[in-house]
Amino acid sequence: MIDYHALAPELILAVTVLAVLVTDLVVRSKVWVAVVALVGLFAAFVPILTLAFCEPLVGCTEVTRTMFLGSYVVDSYALVLKGLFIGTAFVAVLLSVDYIESDRYYEGEYFFLLLSAALGAVVMSSARDFVSIVVALELVSGPGFLLAGWRKADERSNEAALKFFISGVLALALLMFGVSLVYGLTGTQQFDQLAAASVQFVDLPLFTIGVLFILVGFGFKVSAVPFHYWTPDTYQGSPTPVTAWLAVGSKTAGFVGLLSIAFIAFPAMRDVWGPILWVVAAVTMVVGNVVAIKQTNIVRLLGYSSIAHAGFILAPFAAMAGASDAAMSQAFYAAVAYLLIYAVMNLGAFGVVIAGLSKVESAELTDWSGLFRHSPGLAVLLAGFFFSLAGIPPLAGWFAKLAMFQATIGSGTPWGYSIAVIAVLNSVVAIYYYAKPVKSAFFDEVPEGVSAAATPSVASPALKLALGLSIAGVVLLGIFPGLVAQLSRYTSEIIAAIF
Amino acid sequence: MLNQYFGDYITVAVFMAVGAGLVGGAVIASRMLAPSRPGGFKEIAYESGIEPVGGGWNQSHIRYYIFALLFLIFDVEAVFIFPWAIRLDFFTELGNGFLILWEMVAFIVILVLGLVYAVRKGVLRWE
Repeated sequence: MIDYHALAPELILAVTVLAVLVTDLVVRSKVWVAVVALVGLFAAFVPILTLAFCEPLVGCTEVTRTMFLGSYVVDSYALVLKGLFIGTAFVAVLLSVDYIESDRYYEGEYFFLLLSAALGAVVMSSARDFVSIVVALELVSGPGFLLAGWRKADERSNEAALKFFISGVLALALLMFGVSLVYGLTGTQQFDQLAAASVQFVDLPLFTIGVLFILVGFGFKVSAVPFHYWTPDTYQGSPTPVTAWLAVGSKTAGFVGLLSIAFIAFPAMRDVWGPILWVVAAVTMVVGNVVAIKQTNIVRLLGYSSIAHAGFILAPFAAMAGASDAAMSQAFYAAVAYLLIYAVMNLGAFGVVIAGLSKVESAELTDWSGLFRHSPGLAVLLAGFFFSLAGIPPLAGWFAKLAMFQATIGSGTPWGYSIAVIAVLNSVVAIYYYAKPVKSAFFDEVPEGVSAAATPSVASPALKLALGLSIAGVVLLGIFPGLVAQLSRYTSEIIAAIF
Repeated sequence: MLNQYFGDYITVAVFMAVGAGLVGGAVIASRMLAPSRPGGFKEIAYESGIEPVGGGWNQSHIRYYIFALLFLIFDVEAVFIFPWAIRLDFFTELGNGFLILWEMVAFIVILVLGLVYAVRKGVLRWE
């Protein structure tokens, strides 16, 4: 029979998606559409808690629930990431409310698409075969293409959507080609069977090519160099709340798929994907950080910063060639910890940009100088999120970096040591370009022609709530990183259980 | 096993070569044998059909596109319903007929919601 308790988050989200569409048809004031979306997301979070604390709350014994012949698994890893995706979508809805209201068109459809993408990301966390992964990836990407082109009168928004669409479809085609090779050789596309079957194909070039194509497909999704070229333009052209979702929700969904494939389906192939991802991670870190230095637009800066962070998240993967089973579990822990913290601080940074754009009315960094003089609160938040992204204690970003270094150095392989050295150098570069806008926001004069001082603060309660949640998360997780550590340790148990 | 795997592709390669040869041969043969006198009615699209009205960049109304989309949705729905209806008895005997019934009800409800949405947004108004 079907385990409805395990599927409850997905079912509630699916019903919410439809409810949002119906609400849009019957109410005049579109704020209710956002309210329905928020209530639905909140309701979808409840079964995640009852599943995670299954024993004390409901009285069941096992957290891991396997469904559909092993294609769909709800375990600790799936639950933590589902919680993350629902939280990310919640904050993304909060960030969107005013922005979409000010555009005055298709407000209902906007939340419908955002929630559909969130549903895809939630499905991705549980998908344990290639068909489910591809379906989930499509459900995340499809609405993303439409959302990126939301301002249809704006040339840049159209460019953003087109670039995102073409690179997204290319990535999917490459991924499917890789999957077809792997399936043709092994006769299975389910991860638990592939983990066993891949052992005998390790030395086969054709199988390696299949795995390589799958990695490239996900390389586009997580915007790793050299598959990153769409990222800055798409981030800059899309409406900023959509960029926040793409940089956090959509990218994390890509990493979740990559984690499932590398650590659950092909742990035996780590000598093959390890060195490939070493090169990708190293190049991604260097290109992301070095190009970010020259950016003059704050959204593009965050775009390149998100590319650089993709490199940091890939670093634990890169250390895995020749690593022990315990190191695999440690790397999985580090990647999940980084994803959790990255989501909180990046959503906050985009929240500041959204609030700042309505105040300064420009995304150029020169116009943001002297921000402290007319909006001190916003300048403090900017400093908080940017220093967290740079990894400066006591803000949450440092713990993500610490976990990453623990995993890379702890792997004990030359690959691990070398990627750690590259990561250290890049972290230093990153501090420079994160600190520069903060410095100019606090110490420089307000430029001529920026009349922000005259415009009153327009941040809505929804935006304030989103910023409050993010800054609380960044500060609290930085001072008490135990929560993230425990959640990530909890997810990496499933990797330890495989070996 | 692998040689067998790649060996199967030889058949594909032979088929592609024969196909390319047939098409290429036909084109070359007609180029060599047929007389060529371009001009007049031969220049228009569909030279053997009705005389075309307007240019190739004529605009057609967006509503045709939307009707085509709506038609496609319910066409695909029918494709799913027929095999479902045939196999429903089998599942009823297995004892999970209700589950299978509700699966289809959920599917149709979602599609009908889509239709309601289209009607409310005025897509079906023809003016």
